[in-house]
Amino acid sequence: MNDETKMDKRTFLRGAAAALICGAAATAAKGLSPRMVWQIDPEKCTRCGRCATHCVLAPSAVKCFHSYSICGYCDLCGGYLRPDAKGRDTGAENQLCPTAAITRTFIENPYYQYKIDKDRCIGCGVCVEGCSVFGNGSLYLQVDHGICVNCNECAIAHACPSDAFRRIPASEAYLLKSDQERRIR
Amino acid sequence: MTTAGKNWAWFAAIVVIIIGLGIYLGTHRRAELGDGFNYSLDELSKVDPSLIHYKEAEPLQVDLEEVSALAVTPEGVVYAAGKDAVKVYPMEQTIAVDGTPTCLAIDAYGVLFVGFTDHIEIVPKNGERTQIVVPSDRAYLTSLAVDEDYVFAADAGSRKIWRFSHEGGEPFEIGREDGGGRRGFNIPSAHFDIALASDGSLWAVNPGYHALENHSADGAFLSTWGTSSVAIEGFGGCCNPVAIALLPDGGIVTAEKGLPRVKIHNPDGSLRCVVAAPTEFSGKGSGLDLAVDAAGRILVLDPDRKQIRIFEEKP
Repeated sequence: MNDETKMDKRTFLRGAAAALICGAAATAAKGLSPRMVWQIDPEKCTRCGRCATHCVLAPSAVKCFHSYSICGYCDLCGGYLRPDAKGRDTGAENQLCPTAAITRTFIENPYYQYKIDKDRCIGCGVCVEGCSVFGNGSLYLQVDHGICVNCNECAIAHACPSDAFRRIPASEAYLLKSDQERRIR
Repeated sequence: MTTAGKNWAWFAAIVVIIIGLGIYLGTHRRAELGDGFNYSLDELSKVDPSLIHYKEAEPLQVDLEEVSALAVTPEGVVYAAGKDAVKVYPMEQTIAVDGTPTCLAIDAYGVLFVGFTDHIEIVPKNGERTQIVVPSDRAYLTSLAVDEDYVFAADAGSRKIWRFSHEGGEPFEIGREDGGGRRGFNIPSAHFDIALASDGSLWAVNPGYHALENHSADGAFLSTWGTSSVAIEGFGGCCNPVAIALLPDGGIVTAEKGLPRVKIHNPDGSLRCVVAAPTEFSGKGSGLDLAVDAAGRILVLDPDRKQIRIFEEKP
């Protein structure tokens, strides 16, 4: 075996060792990096309705969230009542939500509390639009991580026209609208 | 048919079924949302053209970031506030301020009152600036009105109207809930406007009730009117009207958000006419502010366009 062959072997072994070390380091680094999840940036969301139709789950893992600290607790709520509603009672013909996922409770005159029934909400964002147009924007969409299966390639993120979906660390899995909501959660 | 032929037929049928199923699931996996999921204000935006008594003149472009407030003197000098400055038109002067004002007012002597979240900065034509600090830790000032005797400040955070002397003393509260039928102010968001009438009384919006209220300068409740409705006669949404201004003849100009529109009501609340229909606005109208000059022209601050839009009565 001549020196040239020995040199080739040595070079090969060095290269292989370097590749192994780099691979091991990359694997270790991957293990150390935080687990990421999908979430909706409420400031970018345009309430297009695709969250309801493009999720692999049915109904969608996207749900309406309510920031109580932003809500005005209004009687004439733009997120609860249709803009052309004839009355302000809980009649189905007055309600904006197509799946009746918002419940309205009288607190004290003239204030009402609105709660989202997550089992009924399909993430269509109609109430979010109404609240944004006429109200304070206290209703907004979020991926519910108690439901989401965290697909590597999220079908909604792929279809989102406003790039509102992004990956965030699972340790802080929600992009909530107010500091108070963050503290509660 | 031979066995091989049958196998090929089965194979072809299975391939066709798989491809067909793939195409079907790919395109029809979930139905699109139906008509019940549409949110449209198009029908509500339509206004009977015979109700529109004003036409738009050439607007003023406001060269400021975060355009936020408007005031005008009887002589027609216009003040527009934005980030760190108040612009004066037609002189194109700039008055530097610290922060973004939330409201403006000007008195008969040309003294400018610049409202911020929790204080009022008084800017005389000459001399040193002074401040009125609002005695509330929840203060969020949204409107100012000034007459010979008093400075009135609408505080959406505290849900109060403050009355001060011009030096900032003698704070007095107007519109307090009294337990005897006086309902107090219901302010769901930072939209709470006031305007002084020529008889010295104060008009205030009670936005949660979609109403306007008239109070004397001493705080006595005089009258109220308002209808909760998105119809042209009323005020819809959670907190409308967002701005008011008074015409020389006592007519009350109102601006609304959500379904952005500008109307004029008579002092008894009846609708007089429409100044600008929702189709005249591109945004949601949440930052609209109003002023009226001595000629009766209606000035509308439109932050989406960064313009002061001017509407004149049609001949």
